[in-house]
Amino acid sequence: MKSIKEDMMEDIKNTCLTVSFELKRHFRMKRMIISFLLAIGLPLIFYIVPLIWASFPDTAEGFATLNLSFVNLLIIISGSLFAGDAVVGEFEEKTGLLLFSTPQRHSTIFVGKYIGALLPTLVVVSIYYLTTSIEIIGIYGVEGITLEYFKSFFIALVYTTSAVSLIFFFSSILKRKITSTLLGFFSLLMILPIIENVLQFLVEVEPWYILTYSAGLITNVFVGTTPIGGGPGGQMGQFSPDFYSGLTVMVAYTLILFFLAVFIASKRRME
Amino acid sequence: MKDCIIRTENLVKKFGSITALDDVSFEIKKGEVVGYLGPNGAGKTTTIKILTNLIEPTTGRACINGIDVNKRPKEALKDVGSLIGVPGVYGYLTPEEVLTYFGKVYRMPKKQIEQRVDKVLDMVNLSDWKYTKIESFSTGMERRLAIGKSIFHEPSILILDEPVLGLDPEGIREIRELIKSFQDKDVTVLLSSHLLDEVSKVCDSVIFLYDGKIIEKDSVERIDQIMKQYRLIEVEFLEDLAEEDLDKLKNIPGIDEVEKINHSKVRMIKKEEDPSSTAEILIKVIREGYKVVSYSPIKSNLEDFYVSLVGERGDAK
Repeated sequence: MKSIKEDMMEDIKNTCLTVSFELKRHFRMKRMIISFLLAIGLPLIFYIVPLIWASFPDTAEGFATLNLSFVNLLIIISGSLFAGDAVVGEFEEKTGLLLFSTPQRHSTIFVGKYIGALLPTLVVVSIYYLTTSIEIIGIYGVEGITLEYFKSFFIALVYTTSAVSLIFFFSSILKRKITSTLLGFFSLLMILPIIENVLQFLVEVEPWYILTYSAGLITNVFVGTTPIGGGPGGQMGQFSPDFYSGLTVMVAYTLILFFLAVFIASKRRME
Repeated sequence: MKDCIIRTENLVKKFGSITALDDVSFEIKKGEVVGYLGPNGAGKTTTIKILTNLIEPTTGRACINGIDVNKRPKEALKDVGSLIGVPGVYGYLTPEEVLTYFGKVYRMPKKQIEQRVDKVLDMVNLSDWKYTKIESFSTGMERRLAIGKSIFHEPSILILDEPVLGLDPEGIREIRELIKSFQDKDVTVLLSSHLLDEVSKVCDSVIFLYDGKIIEKDSVERIDQIMKQYRLIEVEFLEDLAEEDLDKLKNIPGIDEVEKINHSKVRMIKKEEDPSSTAEILIKVIREGYKVVSYSPIKSNLEDFYVSLVGERGDAK
């Protein structure tokens, strides 16, 4: 009989093994290179286009707000690429018949798969912010990188973990890779934002519990939390997420969906 | 009890209203090669999935080396090599990468992994494909790699579900030889198959499963007797047969026994079950100068056999 410590160490080793296997998988399937190219290419567009055809915004905050409004899209694309098939793929392609019959706790495999999907997505977001920060320094000087910029980066990382958790959750409950990937992608890109807008503009209720509403903080940190005027009803955005409550919602999504996904995936059987 | 390596106790598995396994209990002792036979849908794969922690039984338990597989899979499965159903094999990797990964999962030292990769790929005839991505492999090659994965960490227990499925005759022969070689190494093998002939060639004993229940446990010698009914051919000749004709027919390669039914009709038992030997025997009989009026391999099938076993069991009760 092994001690609890030895048992835990073995589980950690198994998780690390799965993480490295997942990273290799993403690399081999060219997901890494696609995401990394997007992470460098998207901010470059916001630099090159104004440089040639227009002019840069007056302030670093303006440039950052414009540039970082697309980091959300990058998170959704990368998260869907890395987490969409993480669990369901093993069942659909029947590779689980090889993997799940090995002497490992199934939960350690799925934790490894989650980290294996999360890590590259976080790296992709970091590359995006790094590229943008180089551009800001190039245009506005080092003073262009403000505390709000780091806050935005931090929120983007937290939002990434919650987005990956959501897509990973879909991957653990659905039967097809394509369904899980598309549902994850469109939930974050369209479905949740539609619900958020319906609640905001038609029901006039603050959708603080909708994940994508909290993701608005990524760019809102630059303009403050006051409502922005304009829009069809006289106001474009009636509500704006609060920094701490937004953060709490994202952390809650991350933890609840992660634990649910691992639990469901571990109970799921190759029947 | 001490020597018992694989044990199932009153296994019941239900999928909704369907009972896939109904009170299945058996024991396999150290070094035994046991066939797990049954027609498609009998519950063979379900049993094997329970034994490898892919599914959990509704009631009952499955133990390996006395450890409950579903409760303590890490301990129970560490010395088990398994091949279940038709697994997918990570197409974007090479055989070397797949085997190395599973070697790490089984905590094999790096040096041993390197040595075993070459040896196992050689055993399953994939040495030339060591660095080729699996996505370009045929079904048979994928199957051989999956078999390679199951024996990679040199387990003392092997659980194989239809291992020759999808292989060509040459591949079948190679895998058969591989399984036979485990008998000398004291490896305990549970081999599931729906092919009586296949099992009779490599196993010491056989467990028959039908409709989720074990209907018979028997030695392979009795299986060989049973197998004869699957190798029968009835032949009618134009002319009457003399005693020396029967001896002549018996000496034709591929024929095991010849029995006279009437003056011009015989029943022959082939040595091999495969259909190609049936055709070869006909050619040889004609070459011997016999005029054949009719040539009919008797089409009794496994399903008939299982039904007859169930019937016998019912009668006995």
